[in-house]
Amino acid sequence: MSAAPPGESANRLRGDLMAYATLSLISIFCAIPFFWLLIASFDGNAQLFLRWPETWTFANYLRVFTKEDGAKWLFNSLFVVGSATVLVMVLSGLGGYALSRTRAWWKLPFLYSILLIRVLPSTALIVPLYKFLLTLNNAESALLRPIFGSATRDIMRWTGFIDGYLGLILVLATMQLPLSLWIMKTFFDGLPRDYEEAALMDGATMIQRIRRVLVPLALPGLAASGLFAFMSAWGDFLLPLILLSSPELQTLPLGLFRAFLRINEIDYGLLTALAFIYLVPAVVAFGFARRFLVQTFSGGVKG
Amino acid sequence: MKKTVFGGLCAILLGCASTFVQAETLRLANHGQAGIDAMKSTVERIEKKLGVKVEVVEYPAPDKDYLSKLLTELGAGNGPDLFSMPSTAAVADMVEAGYLAPITAEINAWEGYKNFYDVAKKLAVSPDGETYVMPYMLGIQEIYYRKDVLEKAGISTEQPKSWDDLLARAEEIKAKTGAYGLLFPAGVSWGSGAFDEGFQHLIVGSKTPQIVTDDGKLDLNGEGVKDVFNVYKTLIDKDLMPVQPLLGPEPWVIPKYEQFPAGKLVATTCGSWCYIFDWGRESKNPIPDVTKVVGTWTVPGQSGGQFVLANLAAPWAVNADSANVELAKKALLEIGSVETQVSYAARIGNIPASKDAASNPDFQKLTELVPIHAVAENGTFLKQAAGFGTVAEGVARATDALLRKEVDAAGAQKILVDYVKETLGDEAVK
Amino acid sequence: MAKTLQERRAERQLMIVLLPSLLLLLAFVIYPAIYSVYLSFTNEALTGAAARAPRFVGSRNYARLFNDAKFWNALFVTFVFVLGSAIIGQFVLGLVSALALRRRLMFRTLFSSIILLPNAAPEVVAGFMWISMLAGGDHATLSRIVSFFGLPTADWLQVFPLTMIIVVNTWRGIATAMILLTAGLSTIPQEIYEAARMDGATPSQMFRRITVPLMMPTILLYMLISTVSTIAVFGLVYALTRGGPGGATELISIYIYNQSFTAYQLGYGAAVAVIALLVSLVLGVAYVRAAKVEI
Repeated sequence: MSAAPPGESANRLRGDLMAYATLSLISIFCAIPFFWLLIASFDGNAQLFLRWPETWTFANYLRVFTKEDGAKWLFNSLFVVGSATVLVMVLSGLGGYALSRTRAWWKLPFLYSILLIRVLPSTALIVPLYKFLLTLNNAESALLRPIFGSATRDIMRWTGFIDGYLGLILVLATMQLPLSLWIMKTFFDGLPRDYEEAALMDGATMIQRIRRVLVPLALPGLAASGLFAFMSAWGDFLLPLILLSSPELQTLPLGLFRAFLRINEIDYGLLTALAFIYLVPAVVAFGFARRFLVQTFSGGVKG
Repeated sequence: MKKTVFGGLCAILLGCASTFVQAETLRLANHGQAGIDAMKSTVERIEKKLGVKVEVVEYPAPDKDYLSKLLTELGAGNGPDLFSMPSTAAVADMVEAGYLAPITAEINAWEGYKNFYDVAKKLAVSPDGETYVMPYMLGIQEIYYRKDVLEKAGISTEQPKSWDDLLARAEEIKAKTGAYGLLFPAGVSWGSGAFDEGFQHLIVGSKTPQIVTDDGKLDLNGEGVKDVFNVYKTLIDKDLMPVQPLLGPEPWVIPKYEQFPAGKLVATTCGSWCYIFDWGRESKNPIPDVTKVVGTWTVPGQSGGQFVLANLAAPWAVNADSANVELAKKALLEIGSVETQVSYAARIGNIPASKDAASNPDFQKLTELVPIHAVAENGTFLKQAAGFGTVAEGVARATDALLRKEVDAAGAQKILVDYVKETLGDEAVK
Repeated sequence: MAKTLQERRAERQLMIVLLPSLLLLLAFVIYPAIYSVYLSFTNEALTGAAARAPRFVGSRNYARLFNDAKFWNALFVTFVFVLGSAIIGQFVLGLVSALALRRRLMFRTLFSSIILLPNAAPEVVAGFMWISMLAGGDHATLSRIVSFFGLPTADWLQVFPLTMIIVVNTWRGIATAMILLTAGLSTIPQEIYEAARMDGATPSQMFRRITVPLMMPTILLYMLISTVSTIAVFGLVYALTRGGPGGATELISIYIYNQSFTAYQLGYGAAVAVIALLVSLVLGVAYVRAAKVEI
């Protein structure tokens, strides 16, 4: 390929400048409200409306970890949401492939229904969900108590459905499954069958086919699906609110409520500091996933 | 076969035995960091006196989220043994739903109850005649005014004698100082504040002093309601109260925490906690020398008289489905003790319901609250009924229309009546 | 035509792989949804007399909502809200960001992280951030920015309520669109663009003839999910406007909340939710037809 004609690079430069301009505008739009968040978190006497602090301090951040249980909340959130994300990625990776290749009669209605159900407000769904989980919980407790006796409480903290890690992880994962299944199915749909045929020729089993050939190609979809699952579960506060009670299990969104002290009195400094800490894992997850998002359709089955 | 049956029986017995060996556990729901701190010593006392283990479960602070969680659990039969109700209005509905255990016999036989203010005891009785809640704290609201601003402008600081007197005072303030004269919370953004912190104090001194009739209907079509809305209309139309902040979210931030300390709003309704937590030693922007600078008036009646309206503040109740109802009831009585009341008063700023609190040295340290506590002796109250929450929302919407100058007093009354009828049915309104 | 043994075995393998997802969805998503539909025919409530003894009331809830002018208003407001923020706002800004970020620019990580931030903030905090931006007349950050440029300020949430919430929701969802569309863009092989460029195609021709058609499945997916999730938006808008002024921003979700607020009337709320579900179904079918994409 010979050097590009001079018009080309002028075009590219213009295009790049346009890109810089639009990205800057959009970024400014996105960033402005965070200005208050940042400044108030360092304000010794933070207010609701933007103001230049009279006293700059780290006290709000320190308070999150020393006076409140910031570290515990962070750990719980990371553990629960991380597990749920991994679960979603695995299940939707496999399930999305199955949905893409299957010719079952109920495929279409199923796909539509799981997506559209998300329109129902969670407040309507939480009550039957809670009752169902409670039944499961009581059954599990009845099973375990004769064996483990008084240690059952501690075990149920991990395996329980109500007030236990397992229940919260499963429900959080399930809430993200519809979108993830759709994304993966769409991506597997778009992959040409020849790659699969080639792998089949080599005698690979279905799981091997999925793992070795298709997943790398569907990586953008998997990254998007995992990222959405993480961000959505990370921000969910209704499910932890209703399902959790023990202080050891509390997650970050619930910790935010600590900033509501009395009627109409909110500790904005604590709220904003905690919110900032809250943002960090999401940004890190995004930075990590970005690499896979832009994996282009190169390579594949060359040679 | 016999071996498995025998083995199974052993397992069950072992399971039963292991549960017997543990001490009884009571689950106690608490919300709001201040409340949790206030309950610490009470929890220790309960554990010691009753020989039980108390598990304090922290629920989220905002009332809406607290109730969501609590009601979901109660509805599924998995609620805590003891919990508090964020507002009196929720009590009647919870009684009807069958969530609360009646404590009439226990509370009347309890020594400490004889010492409670009458108004507290009356407020605790539900429409069906039973008592379901421990009325250990009272919320008392008055009109707080800037004494220094009035004195400097040469305006009388005498207790206003009637509604007209109060409104005239507000106009005088506006004319002589240019500041807003009197704030009554209003509008939808303020939530139940329109009713709790304004409407109900006026209605008690109006021609319709009680909203609930003897046969349980809501008397909203009377003259009294219209007159109350007229007070709002006057304040709004004559620009005596700030309107713009009340239309937006977090409506109390500017009037109560900015304009009042700055003297741009000279009088507003507020609760007993305001001396300490809103403008006093525990607040973020305290007014220096607050007890000298800020005075209180009781809300006058329409044509005379003074009305100190008392409400139950976060009353506690026992879960009717609790596995340890008797123990929970005993724990409830401990919550009603004077020590608990004073602890709460210090952290949250409400008024203890026991007359004995006056002689408690820790309470006497809360000098701002002592005189308000004494006034509770003559407190009046609004009879409660199921559906009060709907009335509060209706008042919020009616005053919202008044704020936007869309209706007059009669129109506001219509909005209230229509809303309650629509939500509760036509038969609910007299 | 009977399936061959191998086909049936392949199909069975697919089912096994799908089974865990199916079970989880059935238990935690489909069952509660069916229960909600059942609830919509009762007067079930979380507190009050109906909580103790809920009754089957047939279609009374539905009759009530069809006769309520505010319900129709809520449908209209929700439609405008979804159109403005999801279909137009988030999509356009997200697509532009995705396209721009494909170029080799400096600060790409910084730009994309900033665009992500609105989506990462918890809803409660996002609510306060925008209250700080828009409420309080002169106190609002927007007012201060606007007056810096010498323009008149206003009580933004009272004067432009629907516009403001569309702006806020757009702000919140740009990242979703950007992420999904980025992933979609990356499935288009570069070779196609190269070939087109050789043939002398202009950028806009390439966009219209190559990018859009090949991205259709992703675009369709985005439209579906953003419509569904935008209909479900509640907390952020409620915190800002409570559905006012005068129902100008009363979304379906806020309408449900306002109607059932005092006694937590699950039955009535469920009925409105079911209607929202049916509307989404109609919209979903419309999207698929319009995109001419095979599902």
